Amino acid sequence: MTHFRTTRTFFVVAAAALLVATACTPGPAASSPTPTPAESAKPQQGGKIIQGDISDIATIQPILSADTSSSRIINLIYDGIIQQDYKNGEPKAKMATYSISPDGLNYTFEINAKANWSDGKPVIAQDWLTGLKLVGKSQKTVRKSSFQDVQGFLDYCVGSSSSGCKGTAKEISGVKIDSANPKKFTVTLTKVSCPAIIDLNGYTLPTQVFGKYATDTSKDEIDTAPENTNPTVFSGPFKFSEWRKGDQIILNKNPDYWQGAPNVDQYVVKVVANQTAIANGLKTGELTYGSIQPKDLADMQTVDSVKITKYQNLGYTFISWNELAPTAPALADKRVRQALAYGLDMDQVIKAVVFGEATKQVAHHVPVQWAYPTSPLEPYKYDKAKAQQLLTDAGWVKGSDGILAKDGKKFTLTISTNSGNQERETLAQVAAEQYKQLGIDTKAAPEAFQGLVTKLTTGDPVIEANIIGWSLGGDVDPYQIWHSSQIPDRAKGTTGFGFTGFKDAAMDKAIEQGRNPTNGDCSTAARKAQYETFNKILNENQPYNFGYANNVLVGSQKTLQNFDPASFSQIWNVHTWWIKQ
Amino acid sequence: MRDFIIRRLLYAIPTLVGISIITFLIARLSPGDPIRLFTFGIKDFTQEDYLRLLHAYGLDKPIPLQYVDWITNALRGSFGESLIYHRDAFAMLVERVPATLQLAVAALLLQLVIGVPLGVIAALKRGSWVDGAIRVFGVAGHAVPAFWLGLILIIVFAVQLRWLPSIGLLTVGHDQWDIPDRIRHIILPAFVLALTGIANYSRILRTETLDVLAQDFVRTAHAKGLHERTVVFVHALRNALIPVVTALGGILAALVGGALVIEQVFSWPGVGQFTFQAAIAKDYPIVQAGVMFTSTLLVVSYLVRDLAYAVVDPRIKVG
Repeated sequence: MTHFRTTRTFFVVAAAALLVATACTPGPAASSPTPTPAESAKPQQGGKIIQGDISDIATIQPILSADTSSSRIINLIYDGIIQQDYKNGEPKAKMATYSISPDGLNYTFEINAKANWSDGKPVIAQDWLTGLKLVGKSQKTVRKSSFQDVQGFLDYCVGSSSSGCKGTAKEISGVKIDSANPKKFTVTLTKVSCPAIIDLNGYTLPTQVFGKYATDTSKDEIDTAPENTNPTVFSGPFKFSEWRKGDQIILNKNPDYWQGAPNVDQYVVKVVANQTAIANGLKTGELTYGSIQPKDLADMQTVDSVKITKYQNLGYTFISWNELAPTAPALADKRVRQALAYGLDMDQVIKAVVFGEATKQVAHHVPVQWAYPTSPLEPYKYDKAKAQQLLTDAGWVKGSDGILAKDGKKFTLTISTNSGNQERETLAQVAAEQYKQLGIDTKAAPEAFQGLVTKLTTGDPVIEANIIGWSLGGDVDPYQIWHSSQIPDRAKGTTGFGFTGFKDAAMDKAIEQGRNPTNGDCSTAARKAQYETFNKILNENQPYNFGYANNVLVGSQKTLQNFDPASFSQIWNVHTWWIKQ
Repeated sequence: MRDFIIRRLLYAIPTLVGISIITFLIARLSPGDPIRLFTFGIKDFTQEDYLRLLHAYGLDKPIPLQYVDWITNALRGSFGESLIYHRDAFAMLVERVPATLQLAVAALLLQLVIGVPLGVIAALKRGSWVDGAIRVFGVAGHAVPAFWLGLILIIVFAVQLRWLPSIGLLTVGHDQWDIPDRIRHIILPAFVLALTGIANYSRILRTETLDVLAQDFVRTAHAKGLHERTVVFVHALRNALIPVVTALGGILAALVGGALVIEQVFSWPGVGQFTFQAAIAKDYPIVQAGVMFTSTLLVVSYLVRDLAYAVVDPRIKVG
């Protein structure tokens, strides 16, 4: 799945949110990598983890969560039934094992016999069903559409008349709980959907707490339930203790955690104003770990007590070219877009903008995803002469003022980005300077992110080029960004993330077959073959200058042991972390 | 006095209504759509979902109707539900008021405890190096940007010397009533927030004290053989303090409003930081509650100033 990466707090929000909630969960001990020397030492008990975060949480109710900070806390107190591998994102069992029927329509889950709630009751299939029913009841969840392929969900869910929710059924017909085994259940889909397994992680919530909001007579009371901010029963490694609004969230260890009690006594999230404060907090020892900015890396590497861990971000920053912008018709020409790839020295940009802490991208999937293409792609190494030749081939000729022109019209280009994001503003300025050298009259135009979002998703033709970022979590399915159905259409009033206007029939077919294969084959190998084709088409057509995938830099105290963050989860093994005294 | 208070409170009503309309319009007419913003990129989020949320938050109504709904509910004490937090906006704001007030009151005390004596000393030592140093400090106090000074103080006192903490209002794991720990946390942010006021008061007090010391009643006090300390602190200072009281009017509101930058630098979980982040996220109910809270505080503090003015200077009649 995909979503936007934004400047700060809240923005990260929107985007990241959803995936993370469904995807990035800690993993079982069985999936741990080979122990490092530190891991092989006997863990010491006690102490507390203090994580610095630049955003307060918004909720502790998973069906309402739409931000990464909330999702992290939720993942620490509620375990999911499945998880994604913390390094490559492949789905695998967590609290439940699962199997898929040969026709790809039936998913059978069996929850681990040891999985109990913190009040001693077993985690059962009904708890998963309660979570799904709450999604159906809520008016303020952003998750309803994730379950629309579950048989009977649309009959059960409540929503506006146009949402497909009918609210006519009292049960969800596609969910069957094994009468002989309350920990076993089967979910039936209406059609084969390869990304479904990630969504079917769902929300396993204690029925003894939330069941009262999912009765036949319940309306949307779950949206304002007091347990959303003060939960009382848990299945994860930690138990919620206190939320000091805007300041800290305090979790205590769950001694009865089914995978083994955590080594530390507490996990605290300390809310700080920005990443500079995180860097300072790491230096002073006030924080145990937190993400830092590339600009602070050199400084932090001089701090003896702090260790820096790097891993590749699950997303990338790019420049989109709007083929439908009437004021920049040149962008509809593939040769021009290729010239814009050759004409921007991205390696130099990475050094200048993010201090070398990124990897150049030339297609959609990022290296840490299993769908990352293995067949060779055009690297678009900086080549100004080739860029100029491509522009000439496309009919653009320099005038006496040095500006390219065609049919009497000059080549002008405005690159928008969200103001306040220093990295993107710098990228826009550098790109503008380099494109000017090609003869393109380019200017950078920062504007408020709030306004930009609406313009992009509604297909406002005023946007010619735009710098923004995608966070790619959950499944690798690129449907919502690249399928032609996602191109916003102002005349029809439809919205979407296909704001380049680029479409290609072969690419659509590859996306569809990777998502809903006609032969029902959702194996990684079969899907990867489709995504090789998909990435090849994008690489050739360059609807984006695909920019770069940043490194995530995490600073941690050297006393923190077993800390092994990676692209799909920082906290996958949190119950094994310990503090060296 | 009672008529005066009632009249002033009545005057405040159109002011607050005007502020509410302006805030409402600025928030709604500025570019961007809050639902689009917080759902941006969410998997499988459809146009139908968007319309459902728009309706759920009442954002599908015409703006004038939205305002009528909002003001009606506000008069009943409800500023609406946060689009992000799904909780009552005003209640969430109130949760952050103690942190901001704590910072503002500490800064106010520092302003008075440091600023007033500095002004008096400068006046009494007029022309000396002490006077010069205080005047330079006064200029510097106005000129130094708060965010810069805050960062420098963090680097020096938290990172290098490790004397004081750099983040928040309480060490993680400490009891909420650990007063010494709270004091350690508040020293740096309160000082930075207070600096401009310290400079201001020292300048005002210096000028006023010099002015008062030159007046006849002070000469008379001297002629009566009163002790210098009595002349300065009993006779002169009381008169010199009148402009300070004037300046105090609104100072608390200004401190609350001005705490935004300090709250950002020191990760102080107060109203300013909260409202600022809500504005970025276009969380209308919180922004409106925040602005109305600060505006009301300002109106009330001006009223208190006028009353205090009358107490300090009996020549001033209220009513």
